[in-house]
Amino acid sequence: MNAQPYVPRGVTTDMGVAVAATLDYDAELMLRVKGGDGTSFGVLLEKHRASVIYFLYRLVQEQAVAEELAQEVFLRVYRSRSSYAPTAKFKTWLFRIATHLALNWIRDEKHQRSRERLDDMAWDLSARQVSDGRPSVEQQLLGSVTRDEIRQAVAALPEKQRAAVLMHKYEEMEYSQIAKVLGCSDSAVKSLLFRAYETLRARLAHMGTT
Amino acid sequence: MNCPIEDRHPEILVAYAAGELAAETTRALETHVAGCAACRPVAAGHIAVWKALDAWDAPPVSPDFDRRLYRRIDEDARLSWWERLVRPFRLMPLRQALPLTASAGLLLMAGLLLHNPGVVAPAAAEREAVRAQQVENTLDDLDLLRQFGAADSAENGHTGAL
Repeated sequence: MNAQPYVPRGVTTDMGVAVAATLDYDAELMLRVKGGDGTSFGVLLEKHRASVIYFLYRLVQEQAVAEELAQEVFLRVYRSRSSYAPTAKFKTWLFRIATHLALNWIRDEKHQRSRERLDDMAWDLSARQVSDGRPSVEQQLLGSVTRDEIRQAVAALPEKQRAAVLMHKYEEMEYSQIAKVLGCSDSAVKSLLFRAYETLRARLAHMGTT
Repeated sequence: MNCPIEDRHPEILVAYAAGELAAETTRALETHVAGCAACRPVAAGHIAVWKALDAWDAPPVSPDFDRRLYRRIDEDARLSWWERLVRPFRLMPLRQALPLTASAGLLLMAGLLLHNPGVVAPAAAEREAVRAQQVENTLDDLDLLRQFGAADSAENGHTGAL
C-alpha cells in the first residue's frame, strides 16, 4: 500500500503538488504557475477561457462586458499565484472570482441598458459563419425570438438564482461546488435552484408546447 | 413511487428533467408521472425549460482575447509599488469609493486628535478647575457655619448636650 503522508490543506511547500494532485489536475497546474511556469497558466487559460466567458456572458448578458470581466478574472488568478493554496477545486475558485466580479458589476449597473447591440451583431455574424446550409429568414427570426425570451427569463431571476442556474445547467457543477462559489449551504443551493427553475417553468414552459 | 408533489419534494422533478436521477429512480418516476395528473405538467414544464436553455448559445470568444490578457499581465508586472497600492481603489465604482473615502477621512481625523491631545485639553482642564473651586467654596461655607454655631452656643451658655 502506498501510504501518503498527511499534509494539511493550505500547506504550500513542495508537498503542495502532491496535495493538489489529490484535488484536481488544474490545481496542480496552478501550483506550477506559482513555481514560475508560465506555460501552465496558458494551459489553464485554454481550458477554462470559454466556460468562464460563456458563464459571464449569460450572467451579465453583454458580450463586451463578459470578456472584460473574464480578463479581470484571469488577471486576478495570475496575480494571486504566489499566495495560491489548493484548498478547493480550481474551477470552484475560478468561478468564485468570476461570480464575485459579475455580481458586483450587476449591482453597480442599476440602469437597464440596451443589451441587444453588440451581442446580436456577434450572434448574427457567428450564425452566418457556422452554417453551411443557411437557415431561412423565418428560422432565424424564430431562433432570435426564442433566444430573447430565454435571455429575458434568466435576466429576470434574482442574481444568486441566476448564477446558480448557470453553473448548474451549463457548467454541470455539483450542488456542493455551487455552494462554495456562492458562499452558502448545499441546502440553500437546492432551494435557490428549485425556485429559479420554477420561475423559469412559469415563463418558458410554453416553448415545449410550440 | 410516492408522488413527489404530495410528498412535498417537487425538486425531484427538476432533478429528473436535468437527468440527475439514477436509472432505476428515473424509471420509477416516469411510471408515476405517466399516471399522475399533478406531476405530468410539472415534469413536462421542467423538461421544456431544460430544452429551451439548451438553445441559448453564447457568442464566440474574441480572437484577440488572449493577446489582450497577456498585454494586461505585462502591464501589471511593470507597475510600481505605489500603483499596486492604489490599484484596488482605481477600479472601484464611485458608490463604493465614497463611503470608503469618508471612513478613511474620519479615521485620519480621529488619529490626529488622539495624536494631538492639546486640542481637547483646554476644555477638560477648565472643567476640572471649576470643580475644584466649587469644592473649596463648599468647604469654606461649612467652616463658616461651624464658627457661627460655636459662637452662638457660647453666647447662650449651651454645653452642646441636649
